[in-house]
Amino acid sequence: MSDALDGLRQEVREWLAVHAPKDWRAHSTSEAAFLAMQRSWFATLVKGGYAMPHWPEGWPGGGRSLAEQKVIYEEFARADTPRLLLSFMSTYHAASTLFEWGSAEQQQRYIPRILEGEIWCQGFSEPGAGSDLAALRTRAERKGDVYVVNGQKLWSTMGQFADQCLLLVRTSNEGVKQAGLTYLLLDLKAPGVTARPIHQIHGDEEFAEIFLDNVEIPVANRLGEEGQGWAVAQSTLSSERGLTLLELSARMRGAMWRIADMIRTQRRADDAGILRDLGKLASKIDATCAVADQFLANRIAGLELVGDASIVKLAYSRTLRDFTALGLRIGGLDAQYHAPITFGGGMETGNWMADFMNSYAWTIAGGSDEVQRNIIAERLLGMPREPKSWTVKESAA
Amino acid sequence: MSMTRSELQDAAAKAFDGDLPPDAAQSWTLITDMGWLMMAVPEDQGGLGLGREAVGVIHQALGRTLVAGPTIAQMLVIEALSGTAQDELLGRAMAGEVMTASLADGLTAMPDADRASHLLFIEPERIALLPTQGRGLTARATWDKTRRLFDVDAGEQQGIVLARGEAAVALGNRLSALRSLALAADSLGGADAALRMTIDYLETRRQFGRPLALFQALKHRVADMKTALVAAEALFWARADDPDADAISMGAMKAHAAGVYRLIAEEAIQLHGGIGLTMEHPCHLFLKRATLNAALGGDADHWEEAAGRRMLAA
Ligand SMILES: Cc1cc2nc3c(=O)[nH]c(=O)nc-3n(C[C@H](O)[C@H](O)[C@H](O)COP(=O)(O)OP(=O)(O)OC[C@H]3O[C@@H](n4cnc5c(N)ncnc54)[C@H](O)[C@@H]3O)c2cc1C
Repeated sequence: MSDALDGLRQEVREWLAVHAPKDWRAHSTSEAAFLAMQRSWFATLVKGGYAMPHWPEGWPGGGRSLAEQKVIYEEFARADTPRLLLSFMSTYHAASTLFEWGSAEQQQRYIPRILEGEIWCQGFSEPGAGSDLAALRTRAERKGDVYVVNGQKLWSTMGQFADQCLLLVRTSNEGVKQAGLTYLLLDLKAPGVTARPIHQIHGDEEFAEIFLDNVEIPVANRLGEEGQGWAVAQSTLSSERGLTLLELSARMRGAMWRIADMIRTQRRADDAGILRDLGKLASKIDATCAVADQFLANRIAGLELVGDASIVKLAYSRTLRDFTALGLRIGGLDAQYHAPITFGGGMETGNWMADFMNSYAWTIAGGSDEVQRNIIAERLLGMPREPKSWTVKESAA
Repeated sequence: MSMTRSELQDAAAKAFDGDLPPDAAQSWTLITDMGWLMMAVPEDQGGLGLGREAVGVIHQALGRTLVAGPTIAQMLVIEALSGTAQDELLGRAMAGEVMTASLADGLTAMPDADRASHLLFIEPERIALLPTQGRGLTARATWDKTRRLFDVDAGEQQGIVLARGEAAVALGNRLSALRSLALAADSLGGADAALRMTIDYLETRRQFGRPLALFQALKHRVADMKTALVAAEALFWARADDPDADAISMGAMKAHAAGVYRLIAEEAIQLHGGIGLTMEHPCHLFLKRATLNAALGGDADHWEEAAGRRMLAA
């Protein structure tokens, strides 16, 4: 077993030595360069069979055991390869949801195109539906063979570059909010779709707003039944936990040298206060890596509990904030001077103010820290839920 | 005393209560027209003699709406000039002719140096006012776009020496204390505004069929921020009113105030959710100014270590 893994590790290392992009950070100074790099690196990975080790048996590059996937991600983090941001939603969210809910025909239609580089985004959130996702109002009305869709989606990561969108819509107002949702696959080139990038506070345009004006989506592009959208969406949402965080926490551990280097350069190696905080952070990162490990082991063994994924996500998001905050603190005034961001550079680029601001992506997106805490308290620990109704009069509130 | 403070506060709050941040050029005109640059200067030197009290009120008001411009640096120059016989230069500075000073060390991090006639150069044993003309300037853009900092080439050292030797050490300490006081005031004003903005948002934003403000988990966060802010404000006025408060105790107070600002600005974004991460929303302006305030004029590591060492020595 461990011999086989060592063999794989060796194989990945040798492959990376030949194929891993060199000096990519230095070149990743514009959006155009970022897009070109992401596309070519993805194509290289697909060819090498390393783009989707998490896919099931029978699909190209898939069928790897958990232990093998870990080896692959560890080696990628070690070689400091670019993260697959552009195709992240395609290979995780879209693929996992299609594997679980797609008909054979739908899988055959979409999965090969993902391998060819088709980009997906996720259109769930709306102005009025963030933490309370089930409150979404984008309306789809069935007319013969199509749904006619009207509404607005917000915060779609990579939405402005995407070809396809995982779209959650409302098909009914009857019963509980969740029961009226339906899951559609939207071709973003369809008439009536407008995507507008949103400027993020650190200077990236990572997400977009998507306006839908009488957009027609064939009924054949529905995943699951009408009214089953909420259940399908759960598959999409759970796909980004787990392995992603295993990879990301390994990457954070691999980036500790950035802080250590700065301490040496600033001749603060004798500053006990800083060293203690560095040591404390190292323990937190190790704990995050360990908890991500344990989560996956439990999941494979069928022992995962509702709320376990929230613990991993919350541990990661808080630790990433601490990591970037320590970098920012040691970076001092230098870190306050604006430096262009490294597009696609990941969560730890050494541009500390940008990294610090970017860390909010993990405390807000994919269910905020507060929402994770609710899940841990109410679902994992079984504490009573917030009452569904509340009695304070509107005028008194 | 406190009558003066609340009167001053009312007037200051009325002056800036529009855009976030207000137009820089208009703000400077307003600041000079209202005589804010001369408030702290003793009456016998043509000022209003309101001392640190005025410094506190003014910079809190400027921090609250994130006013751009070199007011902190200008006040340092005015303080340095007011103990000298340079009445003519002092008059020009009080009237709004831009003269700047470092918010860090030497000739670095000087706000608006590109439109300043003079620069204050603080060295350990010598403090001088140098003409800007003929010196190389390097713009150092910060993440915080409400400040425009420059590094300046030392070049020819001619200029007007304002203090030497022990007098320079004493003036240097006074300037350091004043800078910390102003940065702390700016921080507390900004923290207060960011907290109010967050409370307003929680009261209007609805999720799960109710205002977010109804979730006790969020109310507790706001209550913690308020507690930290009120304590930091109390510390601020206690140190501002203490004639014995020196550079170290003002520096440690600044570190504390900037820490509270940073906490509140950080939480403001989190509690606004996605909208707080966009350029369109003012949340990020507070966060960027908070982190810059924390780094300018000596950071927390610097001042807290100094305060700790002094405590042991006492
Ligand atoms: C970088 C980034 C990328 C994103 N990418 C996508 C994407 O690709 N596709 C997509 O559909 N969406 C995406 N999102 C949207 C994301 O899912 C939402 O921002 C998130 O769910 C929070 O919703 P909101 O922004 O409306 O904040 P709100 O829900 O309004 O929350 C505001 C604050 O209130 C707190 N809060 C809300 N409810 C409760 C409660 N019950 N108890 C305690 N506190 C509560 C929140 O934690 C937060 O602090 C992205 C967001 C970010 C920041």
